[in-house]
Amino acid sequence: MSNRSLRGKVAIVGVGQSPSGRVPDRSPLDLTADATLKALADAGMDKSEIDGVLTGNAFASSFHRFSVALSEYLNIQPSYSNTLQVSGATAAAAVNTAAAAINAGLADTVLVACGDSLLTGMTPDMAIRAMTESRDQQYEMPFGIPVANTFAMTAHRHMKEFGTTPEQMAQVAVTFREHAARTPGAQKTDPITIEDVLASKMVTTPYHKLDCSLISDGGVALILTSAERAYDYAQEPIFILGAGEHYSHEHIFLMPELTETGAVKSAQKAYDMAGISAKDVDVAGIYDCFTGTVLMMLEDLGFCKKGEAGPFVEAGEITYGGTIPTNTHGGMLSYAHPGIPAAWYHFAEVVRQLRNSCGDRQVTDAELGLVHTLGAGFSTQATTILGKESTL
Amino acid sequence: MSEQTIRKPLPTTDGDSQALWDGLKEGKLLLQHCADCGHVQYYQQSLCRLCQSKNLVHKPASGRGKIHSYSVVHRAPGPAFKGDVPYAVLLVELEEGPRMISRLVGNDFDALDFDLPVKLQTVKISDDVCLPYFSLM
Repeated sequence: MSNRSLRGKVAIVGVGQSPSGRVPDRSPLDLTADATLKALADAGMDKSEIDGVLTGNAFASSFHRFSVALSEYLNIQPSYSNTLQVSGATAAAAVNTAAAAINAGLADTVLVACGDSLLTGMTPDMAIRAMTESRDQQYEMPFGIPVANTFAMTAHRHMKEFGTTPEQMAQVAVTFREHAARTPGAQKTDPITIEDVLASKMVTTPYHKLDCSLISDGGVALILTSAERAYDYAQEPIFILGAGEHYSHEHIFLMPELTETGAVKSAQKAYDMAGISAKDVDVAGIYDCFTGTVLMMLEDLGFCKKGEAGPFVEAGEITYGGTIPTNTHGGMLSYAHPGIPAAWYHFAEVVRQLRNSCGDRQVTDAELGLVHTLGAGFSTQATTILGKESTL
Repeated sequence: MSEQTIRKPLPTTDGDSQALWDGLKEGKLLLQHCADCGHVQYYQQSLCRLCQSKNLVHKPASGRGKIHSYSVVHRAPGPAFKGDVPYAVLLVELEEGPRMISRLVGNDFDALDFDLPVKLQTVKISDDVCLPYFSLM
């Protein structure tokens, strides 16, 4: 394995968000630009300092090169630009790639941003394309398999192999709703119970409506720069300590094992680079497209043993006072899920936790954070380890 | 909404997959057997996924398999599938080894279970396309 490392070379110095939830009449570019201006203000930085732009793609936008369109919208002419596409894993993949680009000298300061209007900006045709085009058109989609179904089948097998229950999965939704209630701007804040989750409409077994993430509008922006420049700005820099990714398959039927994902390898690479293990992490942002997804990630990221995530969540281990407070903003299940940008919120939240700026939802003494993003039926996996200066 | 999004997605065959879709029209599910390393694969491609040999031979599957996992879809992925719900999507493990995505023939969802044996049943869904579905034994 390579001994080259990104550890401590790059920091996140700015975080910004547009309004999220239901935000009608605002284009994906508008939402992303709004978030960018807020991230610049947060950093105390002028846009002329941005020489790199990385984004994901927006479903409600017709631009094929969203990063290039965003640059034009903001009147920025960067020397480095790309629009990444690894589905839900794009957020951490973009942060990792931006850090690598800065470390390699391709850019000094990279805007990593994404926005979409999945809730109010989609024509019916766009919505259907978003639902169906991400699965293979020959060997999957003709059978009527939405992307939710790929995650459902993995969770179902997890139930069979480890005795995981619908109640344990529902607990994830209940916990993240409690977290959202403490977070200004969260889309869903009314308390829910396990019974509410189980009584909500069945979408695709074993997932009910409340086991599934929201649909939202919104944009999020992060600004990354080199460690040398990181102290020139207004906020405490939060450093990238480790980065890892893994891409194990494309088709769900070629996933090596339904109950163990590529997150094991993605996380291990990130932990090794950071020189830490799961037990050192104080706060986590875990991609929560479905409740069962979080259970499998808690196991594969090493926070609990394989097969034990159900009891782990029931015991309160993913909330305040537990082993690993997770998605303290409420996640995609309760804060917001505007598509590809959804996991950018996990970064925004973990950065704010490490800056100790989360007010009454602050995790005490948080110094080390992990963000794990994934997509396409566990095909794509990307992990980033973040830390305060004290962890360098 | 355009007509295209209301129509069900049909497989677009290519150079890799033509034999598979032709075989299904005759009721056969063709698997690729590598003549060099013995690996059996679904779906069709120009290389063995294990050893990258191009020495691949098509052989019909026995049609027997078991349910590795499944999910009953209640909310259709778009208007094209609205008339079908509820339906069961199966992840079938074929006797020969490969897994594949398929669908249950019929709606006896209560009888579904993990590792349950199933058998191939091709279903004609358009003039040109037969899909490999499975039924309970």
